[in-house]
Amino acid sequence: MLNNSFLHFLALSFFTNKKRFSGILVVSFFILLLLSSTLFISSSIKGSLKKSLNYQPDFIIQNIKAGESFVASSRWREKLLKIHGVIAVNGRVYGRFFLDKKISFLVIGIDFFSKQTNENLDALVNKIDLKEFLSKENMLVGASVKKYLNSHYYKDSYNFLTPKGEFLKLNIYKELPNSSGLVSQDVVITTKDLAKKILGLSSNEVSDFALSVPNPSERENIRVKIESLFFGARVVTKEDINKKIASLYDYKGGVFLILYLIVIFAFSLILYLRYTIATSIERKEIATLRAVGWSIKDVIKLKLLENLTLIFISFSLAIIASYIFVFIFDAPILRAIFLGGDSLSLNLKFKPYIDYGLISTIFIIYLVTYLATTLIPIWRIAISDPKEVLR
Amino acid sequence: MGDLLLNSYEIVYLSSEVITTIFAAILFTLSLKLLFGWDINRSTKEQYYLEKVAYLASTLALFLFWVKTILYIYLVYTLDELSIYIAGAMCAAGVVSANSYGLWLLGIKAISLFLLLLWMVLNSYDLEQKNYPIFKKKIVLLIFISLFILLEGWLNYSYIVNIDTSLPVSCCSTLFGNLEGENPLPFNLNTISLIILFFLLFIAFELSLLIDSKLTTLVVTPLFLVLSYYSVVYFFGTYIYEVPTHNCPFCMMQKEYNYVGYILWGTLFFGTSFAIIWASVALWLKQEYRVLKKLALILIAIFVALNSSYFMLYYIKNGVLL
Repeated sequence: MLNNSFLHFLALSFFTNKKRFSGILVVSFFILLLLSSTLFISSSIKGSLKKSLNYQPDFIIQNIKAGESFVASSRWREKLLKIHGVIAVNGRVYGRFFLDKKISFLVIGIDFFSKQTNENLDALVNKIDLKEFLSKENMLVGASVKKYLNSHYYKDSYNFLTPKGEFLKLNIYKELPNSSGLVSQDVVITTKDLAKKILGLSSNEVSDFALSVPNPSERENIRVKIESLFFGARVVTKEDINKKIASLYDYKGGVFLILYLIVIFAFSLILYLRYTIATSIERKEIATLRAVGWSIKDVIKLKLLENLTLIFISFSLAIIASYIFVFIFDAPILRAIFLGGDSLSLNLKFKPYIDYGLISTIFIIYLVTYLATTLIPIWRIAISDPKEVLR
Repeated sequence: MGDLLLNSYEIVYLSSEVITTIFAAILFTLSLKLLFGWDINRSTKEQYYLEKVAYLASTLALFLFWVKTILYIYLVYTLDELSIYIAGAMCAAGVVSANSYGLWLLGIKAISLFLLLLWMVLNSYDLEQKNYPIFKKKIVLLIFISLFILLEGWLNYSYIVNIDTSLPVSCCSTLFGNLEGENPLPFNLNTISLIILFFLLFIAFELSLLIDSKLTTLVVTPLFLVLSYYSVVYFFGTYIYEVPTHNCPFCMMQKEYNYVGYILWGTLFFGTSFAIIWASVALWLKQEYRVLKKLALILIAIFVALNSSYFMLYYIKNGVLL
């Protein structure tokens, strides 16, 4: 009985009963909007972190003391280079410079004359005029750092207070382009020597080592070798970082999803009530349909199609709206939950990152709960005796 | 234990499965009521009510069929997504083998989908007749289906809670490919005879459907199903991946291969299911559902054409075989 006149009837019933459906439509729209916005944010962050991970070194070797990462001696370098399969060892200098308890810069010291371990950095270094940059004590700053310094009247230089208690004045050479997203927001890039001074490292110390091992099947073996060579070393692989990022944002998204499951179940309770205590007008309508010869099956079909249409309309509206909310307006209130309200890295735009798996996830949970709650009440309405109702 | 319970996909999958399990329990009690209370010759109030309950049961079965189909696809997708959390897993194959429940879960799911399909055909036959001739039989089948789905509910939970992310699993090449020279194919076949047999069985399958030979269909279809599995994993799959040593039924469902695995396994499953249901219903009830036959013919043709096109395109592009 799924023919034109049936669909026509369905459309007519929507237009005549606008009030009955608009309430459900609005509520489900807002529930879906919130849910899909949070999930969009979490997947966008995950996406841009993963993208930046592609440029990271294969191995990072940290010196561990008392369970914390300590500065490593640059003498390790020679030993690491002797391991077969390792083609490049780079002692990295970086660390957090705290202005107060909450706000900090990520200070990175790089060797401007050699190839960088990070391809993003490499492209950046190629763009600047090295002669001019190295002639004075200069630094490159991220967008959030620039904004912070500007608002504190450090227009073109900043005085770092080193752990030794001395002031070190660095000129702002240039602001980093915003294209690299989350990771470059709060960085300060300068030469290795200056970075060591700011962070309080002595000249033969580095933060950690980055290794390049081009053959993936050698990596596990090399990891074991390094761990037996340096007892205090911790080896972090790219995969470890990838897993960590994924599970961190899954965890945040997952907690939200569970909260929203509770909301969706509460909503389904409302739906259930709405269909069990159907209005007398609705009951009469169905009784009339049954009296003119519709079977129980037809009535169930009509009501199910009604619900499916509602689901599709509210779902597609909500997905479009949340796309605009997150990727065009940058999710005004919700972003603070994921990024932390007081960190410097707030000055970023979410990169549009459409995860179809995620959209189908939202759709499935909504579809299944919606249909499941309305199925039995619909049947109850459909089997009500037309004679009794019409009397 | 339960390391993956906070993954978004996992949460949605499990909570949807909880709903279907609840519905299966409802279906189970309804079917018991129908089985013991149904008497078509009585015209009492109870019988009248039971006829209405039968409507609910068939609506629930329809709901379960669609939701289960969607969730099956979703489960495989989820398993692929989870492979990054488990050491050693490269695709869903590793995640499935993370504990002993995984394969059972996939198998039981396929069986309950097949039974639901069969039930819908029997139900539509029953409703077309005047006096519900096979009512009790179809209700017994429904009881089995709901028991299967309840079992699935338990398997879902045991499978996901018992995935240990710290224990390394084998990746697909170890599970399917690297058997240290041992022949993975059944009946001691080699690849060439496997492919010849595959195409012969395909012709036999299509012919037996075209000439309406039900018994031949019932014999040929299971054989075709088994050989198709091996042909795809050990022959056509290598052309999909364009790597001679890559034998895996799961990797082809990933984005890198345009999700072609879903279409391949989907057409194979539904094509063979429709053929078996068509033949057995025609033999048992003397009622032919030509739609099922047509669908079976078309789906299996798509399945074979898609497989062969990968093979031929590779040959045309590179001029050699793997």
